[in-house]
Amino acid sequence: MHEPNDSTEQHQDLTMLLPWYVNGTLPEHDRPRLERHLSGCAPCRDDLAFERELHRRLSDERPVEYLPAPSLKRLQRALDALEPGAAAADIQERRGRAPLRRYAVAAGVLMSALVGWLMVERWHTSLEPAYHTVTQSPARPAEEVVRAVFSPEVTLVELQSILAESGLKIISGPSEAGVYSLAATSTRPVAASLTALRRHPQVRFAEATRLDPTISAQGSSQPN
Amino acid sequence: MSLPAKAASGRGDRELLLGVAAGDRQALEELYLNYHRRLARFLSRFAPRYENIEEIINDTFLAVWQGAKDFRFASQVSTWIMGIAYRTALKSLRSQKHHNAALSLDASAEQTISPDVDTDVADWLGQGLKTLPDEQRLTLELAYQMGYSLEEIAAITHAPIGTVKARLFHARAKLRRVLPTLTGAPAADALEDFRGR
Repeated sequence: MHEPNDSTEQHQDLTMLLPWYVNGTLPEHDRPRLERHLSGCAPCRDDLAFERELHRRLSDERPVEYLPAPSLKRLQRALDALEPGAAAADIQERRGRAPLRRYAVAAGVLMSALVGWLMVERWHTSLEPAYHTVTQSPARPAEEVVRAVFSPEVTLVELQSILAESGLKIISGPSEAGVYSLAATSTRPVAASLTALRRHPQVRFAEATRLDPTISAQGSSQPN
Repeated sequence: MSLPAKAASGRGDRELLLGVAAGDRQALEELYLNYHRRLARFLSRFAPRYENIEEIINDTFLAVWQGAKDFRFASQVSTWIMGIAYRTALKSLRSQKHHNAALSLDASAEQTISPDVDTDVADWLGQGLKTLPDEQRLTLELAYQMGYSLEEIAAITHAPIGTVKARLFHARAKLRRVLPTLTGAPAADALEDFRGR
């Protein structure tokens, strides 16, 4: 049976983790104790063999046709029906004439570039130390002028608006503590950007790390 | 679970969603094309016909269009979209059952397995999945077919982590119980057959 040190409850808890062990997403810190348990539990090893086969069969690519174009057309018609005004604009767009709406949309897309793709694909998970000495200062992005923490309830659109109003953009984050590094998007004084940022209730915390955005950082680390 | 590749325009999911929130139909179309294959794959076991799959995907993206403004910055776009697809699929499964029940008094028999059916292992799996409650079935697919982590499934299904674990635990236990019924072989032999093929 299972290891003498594993209670029935622990055995059940570990058994419940098998699907994620099998699909490769089990967190690293859970693997050693599960593998230790498996080495001493024949029923769980039996389960594991079954789970592996189940996973193999379910993850086999099924012969499904992927024909997005016709169904996309149906979606477009459904959207047209929701917004008759937008339908007329959309028909014009399809005919090659750019409605005024496109300029507003293009402006929105440019603004979204300020928010930056960086914050999703290159997520930083570095620990923020509670305190640090000059010789152990954490590396900060060279452009960083403000560090901020946002409410988890803030929407993407709200955040875009907050950053635009404050003249800032996200350049990295969040850290494990949920801190984002922000850079200036203009020569506006950082103090003014900070004031604008702090006006919003969705900004839980904001502090300046450099006051003048035109002064370049001396290397990638900043002494305290 | 890897995020989908960037759309042909080079714009990432968040940028596209910002565009959608601003009313950009082209951004929605790019997001649609980016996610269509993944969603079709996820839904392929639940929807009886391809038209049903497309209907669920389109309903999902209608909801994306209408809800993009409320997307929380802290969330992942992929789990948000999958979450909408999951709830839409659940609704569709439930309405299919109601529809079948209205059409036939024997509709409930569709969910049971006849021990006389000569079923090979591939059919076993399909038949076995149909015996599961909808949430268990969908959770199993999210974990095994789509490869999502425990936390991602919790976000997609809006369920606590403990509930996700329990759903999968019961789903797996039930599949192991129905295996002998479906193949007609003794339990140990049936399991060996399943593993060996």
